[in-house]
Amino acid sequence: MKTIVTAEINGERREALVDTRDTLLAMLRDRLGLTGTKEGCSNGNCGTCTVLVNGEPVCACLMFAAEADGARITTIEGIADGNTLHPVQAALVRHGGSQCGFCTPGIVLSAVALMERNPDPNEHDIRHAIAGNLCRCTGYDKIVAAIAEAAKASAGERR
Amino acid sequence: MTGTRDTNGRGAGMAVVGQRLARVDAGERVTGRALYPADLVRPGMVAGAIKRSTHAHARIVSIDTSRARALKGVLAVITAADFPAVAPGTIYPFGETGADAWISAVTTIARDRVLWFGHPVAAVAAVDAYVAREALDLIAVDYEDLPVVTDIATATAAGAALLVPEVKPKGFDADAPPPPNACGRTVIARGNTEAGFASAAASASVAVTVDTGHQGYLEPHACVAETDGNGGVTIWASTQGVFPTELQTAVLLGLPQSKIRVVPLEVGGAFGGKITVHVEPIAARLAQITGRPVKIVTSREEVLAGGSGPAAAADVRVDVAADKDGKLLAIEGRYVLDSGGLPGTPTTLMMQASAAPYQCQNLRLEGIDVVTNKPRTEAYRGPGGIQAAFAMEQAIDDLSLQLGLDPIEFRRRNSARTGSTMPIGTPFPSIPFPELMDRMAAHSSWTDPIAPGRLPRGRGVALGYWRGTSMTSAAHLTIAGDGRPMVTIGAVDLTGTRTAMAQVAAEEFGLSIDDVLVQSGDSKSVGYTDVSAGSRVGRTMAAAVSEACRDALGQLRKRAAEKLQCAVDEVSYQAGVFSSSKGGAITIGDLMRATLTEGAIIGRGVSTKLPLGVEIGGHVTDVEVDPETGQVTILRYTAFQDVGRALNPPAVEGQIQGSIAQGAGWALTEGFDYGPDGRLRNASLLDYRMPTALDLPKIDVVLLETPVPGVPYGVRGVAEMPIVPVAAAIANAVRRAVGVRLTHMPMTPERVLSAIKASGRRP
Repeated sequence: MKTIVTAEINGERREALVDTRDTLLAMLRDRLGLTGTKEGCSNGNCGTCTVLVNGEPVCACLMFAAEADGARITTIEGIADGNTLHPVQAALVRHGGSQCGFCTPGIVLSAVALMERNPDPNEHDIRHAIAGNLCRCTGYDKIVAAIAEAAKASAGERR
Repeated sequence: MTGTRDTNGRGAGMAVVGQRLARVDAGERVTGRALYPADLVRPGMVAGAIKRSTHAHARIVSIDTSRARALKGVLAVITAADFPAVAPGTIYPFGETGADAWISAVTTIARDRVLWFGHPVAAVAAVDAYVAREALDLIAVDYEDLPVVTDIATATAAGAALLVPEVKPKGFDADAPPPPNACGRTVIARGNTEAGFASAAASASVAVTVDTGHQGYLEPHACVAETDGNGGVTIWASTQGVFPTELQTAVLLGLPQSKIRVVPLEVGGAFGGKITVHVEPIAARLAQITGRPVKIVTSREEVLAGGSGPAAAADVRVDVAADKDGKLLAIEGRYVLDSGGLPGTPTTLMMQASAAPYQCQNLRLEGIDVVTNKPRTEAYRGPGGIQAAFAMEQAIDDLSLQLGLDPIEFRRRNSARTGSTMPIGTPFPSIPFPELMDRMAAHSSWTDPIAPGRLPRGRGVALGYWRGTSMTSAAHLTIAGDGRPMVTIGAVDLTGTRTAMAQVAAEEFGLSIDDVLVQSGDSKSVGYTDVSAGSRVGRTMAAAVSEACRDALGQLRKRAAEKLQCAVDEVSYQAGVFSSSKGGAITIGDLMRATLTEGAIIGRGVSTKLPLGVEIGGHVTDVEVDPETGQVTILRYTAFQDVGRALNPPAVEGQIQGSIAQGAGWALTEGFDYGPDGRLRNASLLDYRMPTALDLPKIDVVLLETPVPGVPYGVRGVAEMPIVPVAAAIANAVRRAVGVRLTHMPMTPERVLSAIKASGRRP
């Protein structure tokens, strides 16, 4: 069965014709072509499909597309300002915080959500915020350092 | 900055190589633009899906696909009958020894019998993934159960039935007849170990069991295959090598290689698990039959339970002995690998990995690999190394405790050094172990007191070694009309190869990294290159790229001589400018603008049998053990490694940190739990628990750089060695904290707790 889901995605009102069995992840990737959000486990265990729904990080694989009707959704495609990287993205580039890159979009979304709710996170806060995002390549060090630097820079700008 | 660097005064004078640079492809990664096979959409594309065995060992009596075929939206249903039969011993070129395409064929789809739970038995193509999954449920397979064997002891017990009679055991003889289900045996021996043990002041023996683990790449296996209407097939793959994928697929489909193109897309982690084909031949066959592009994306459950090659379980026993001055007198090791349903990783490298750090005149190592009814195992980052070192480095630690010697000092006294004898009997090339251990012994991670805590804490140390391979790598480059070098490499870029090679090309040309393009070629656009594996790509591709650059510069020099009206040997080149010793100069850009239409400049580089760049390192860790729960917490971790030269230090540090995270996962929480029926009971990332950011401390990396002679830039392998010592370093720290030896990996809380209880200690 098909249904139409209307949502604000990366600041634009979008309509998607979805199968009622579609997860939000399937809607984003398969119906809307937003393939930056990855699928690593389909069980909410790996965090590669992290997106923001009404500002909160969620695993898009754990939510039905139909549940997203009327929601405000941010995916990795909506994080940079045109060609200008978000501070978290720029810091990950500088620190070498992305290796194979498969976890990176989810990490970016979790970090952006962290910085929204906690402008001055310590190392534990950062590790806690990305604890739902598995990374198999980096051992997390360079990711944590990048997020810390980005948060510090953003806090500096606000002052 | 997590790393400190000791360049020993070397590494100066280079503008691009050795600099801390961002990856050339970092932008596409952080914005989600990087394209993995699951992201690719082709016009008219349909979904492929794989039917998997629900029995770990059974004869396939029949497969009824009629109901699946009748389902609306199903375009094709295939079984092994849709592939040409491949005979055992069908060797295709691969690395140093070749590989058997029969293993790839049996792994890809079962023909007469299934050898593990999750073994593919059929596949479908359908208009979408929902219909494809529904069709899988309509395929009826009639199985006749056979006895299931899931452990080494049962498989090798006298009288055990042969699981894979096609495998002829190798390396056995009349004195050592093969036990049932053994595939191969390797012995490395010299001197007389019995005499060594007889004259020893102290000896130690550690026997360990290691559960099957998994590489844990976050991207499940996926590919897209498409026919071109001319009999050709293109496969967009997530693979460690476009050429091995092409070679295997060609045999499995019975196609000439002129009809297959493998295009490398981004690889979402591999670590050894994306060398053998799993989905590519199936997608290609479905594409041939349907005439439609076919995408297969596997699920996490498929990856864990039978749809990929995990890392081998092992039983390893090591006995060591020393005199009262701490000189090693004998090393004996017996290494048995559980390869799963078909022969997997040989034992040679793991034996060397554990014994090579030490000089010992009496040495006897024996390795055997065995088949069981579990998924056929594949390589995982220094395959076998962590399992072997888990036994060896604990035995060495025991000996140092008995002798009352500092564990670094004990290792240093016995350490291999440049020119000493390798386990295989030849002299070691450059292997600066003593210098590495001096550095460890003087470092704060060793000299600082352990931070005090409420619970018992201990500090452990372990060494690591990995031989690595060289094999062959090819690259070529052209010079664009504005003088910029455009490099095509034959290696898949798993994690930073394009960046490191752009640094090499920029260095060779004296240009900036932004002036250089490096791309990974598809299997029809670049010369044969072995897999991105075995710690070989950085070293050998740097050699190929620098050779290609020098080849192109030689051609350019001739053109410059004509333009500058002088002899070729009067032309010098530096930083983008050709100068004549008689006066006059021309930039590489102006030279190309003037001569592009006189013919392409094509530089060629092929690296083969480059000298080995053995990897050595040592790890120091502080852990805390909760005696009430058995929980082990890593408090501090420091890795020392000689990398020859770090082409790009952040990339090197990242490889080392990632290795340690993987090693810590297998050491403490990751292990496959098979039921007696061969079914995997923890086939999810909730139950197969990989470390999160909260499970690990900051990982400090100390890089040493002792270049390897005869290797461009002196590069050593980097990324395999640092997983080798991790479990042993943690186990040794636990031993120092609570006085017990842990011999079953992963060292889960319940195993730690039972070891503490069994010891009768109240720490």
